[in-house]
Amino acid sequence: MSPLDQPQAPTELFTLVDVCVVRDGKQVLSHITDHFHEGHATALVGPSGSGKSTLLRLLNRLEKPTSGRIYFQGAPLENLDVHILRRRVGLVGQQAVMLAATVEQEVSYGSPDLSEAAVRHLLSRVKLDDLPLDQSTAALSGGERQRLALARALAVDPQVLLLDEPTSSLDTKAAEAVDQVIKDLVHEGLSVVLVSHDLDRAAAVTDDALVLDKGTLVDRGDPRSVRYLVE
Amino acid sequence: MGETANIPSWLGVAASVLLVLLALSVSVRYRLGLTRELAVAAVRAFVQLLAVGALLLIVFERGGLLAAFGWLAIMVVIGGFVAGRRAAQLPRGVHSAMAAIAIAVGVTLGVLLAFRVVAATPEVVIPVGGMVVSGAMAASALTLRRVQESARDQRERVEARLSLGLTTAEAFAPEEREAVRTALIPAIDSTKVVGLISLPGAMTGLILAGVAPLDAIRYQIVVMYMLLSAASLASFLSAKFAHRSLFADGARLVPIGASPVTMVR
Repeated sequence: MSPLDQPQAPTELFTLVDVCVVRDGKQVLSHITDHFHEGHATALVGPSGSGKSTLLRLLNRLEKPTSGRIYFQGAPLENLDVHILRRRVGLVGQQAVMLAATVEQEVSYGSPDLSEAAVRHLLSRVKLDDLPLDQSTAALSGGERQRLALARALAVDPQVLLLDEPTSSLDTKAAEAVDQVIKDLVHEGLSVVLVSHDLDRAAAVTDDALVLDKGTLVDRGDPRSVRYLVE
Repeated sequence: MGETANIPSWLGVAASVLLVLLALSVSVRYRLGLTRELAVAAVRAFVQLLAVGALLLIVFERGGLLAAFGWLAIMVVIGGFVAGRRAAQLPRGVHSAMAAIAIAVGVTLGVLLAFRVVAATPEVVIPVGGMVVSGAMAASALTLRRVQESARDQRERVEARLSLGLTTAEAFAPEEREAVRTALIPAIDSTKVVGLISLPGAMTGLILAGVAPLDAIRYQIVVMYMLLSAASLASFLSAKFAHRSLFADGARLVPIGASPVTMVR
């Protein structure tokens, strides 16, 4: 067994060993080696084009590394059934696209057997208690959509949520409401990896940050003290 | 039939050149700049049809059924290229189109021949097969075009479904269904209005050749039904085959409109 096959800390949530992504001849991520802790909220920060979204998408296998290894709780990512992995590692994108016509259908999209009580419980976890179950998803505000997308992701009972700029398209008030929901979820024991180009926003939600620049990991630590230069 | 049919003689064809001159005079009179193009089009039509006529004559008299199916195979290949190129960004688009058209044509024509609805002779297989191929080609092109647009524009939606642990088939099913629905609208519409807006080709040809209208429509009814089958099968299969080429190992949606991640070193 080569050293690369043995993660340094198998109990970590995610361990990345010398991960590179090359796309169209361009190095999107170069030689990333680091890990994410279980039960924490970790931020991936950096300017646009720094590779943070690509890194996030590697974690639920929406993208594949060109070289290097990724481990989830000690197991090589590619050894896990991808469908089971994605139910354990949920992802909510920037736009919070709605997949169904009504609130109830939206929440239960990935788990159609969900009871009405379970749907209501999920809605209360994302502070959408007042939303009628038969409400049309087309009529929801951006902030409501984002929280509904969180409820939809939580419905399949993941251990980790990957969040790609969840508040970047929202106004301050809606963004703060989403941030509060994320903080509560982490407090309940969920692990979160959050992509943000805004270090202050990330600092409001997370206690740990990886700073990326041009595909390279440039700093790691408390989001209030990491080195992050915006050109 | 050939003796009684009211077909123009070669002298008649020569006289119809007057009509081309009429078209040319419009172009010259209004300085449309289309004179050369019109003349080339008229000459091309003459040469192409003469060549096809001569080839058909050889196939009918010497080639037999095998040559007719060979002709059909060439039409399927051409149809596959035409339909596949409508979705040039789709991985293996031409393959998907060609396979879908081949199966759609095989099944549709197979049913017609097996039940002896049409005769198994080169004179029937080539023109009827040609109609089936063009119907299948149009449906395949529309389907692949739509699948390509969905894979590019609905990426977030498809990946949101994948991220809930859905299979690629489940994650792409709504887009696939919409592509097939859209692609079948022209075939359904032309079936609905057949005879009301235009007299279709097969029926027109038979009537020109002296066949009684009530006999000619029987042929046209069969043609419309076979076109529905060809379009439905070709569209459904194109979507299925395209779906396979859209997802890479590990249920990843491949990038459309950009080359995929390349191997380093």
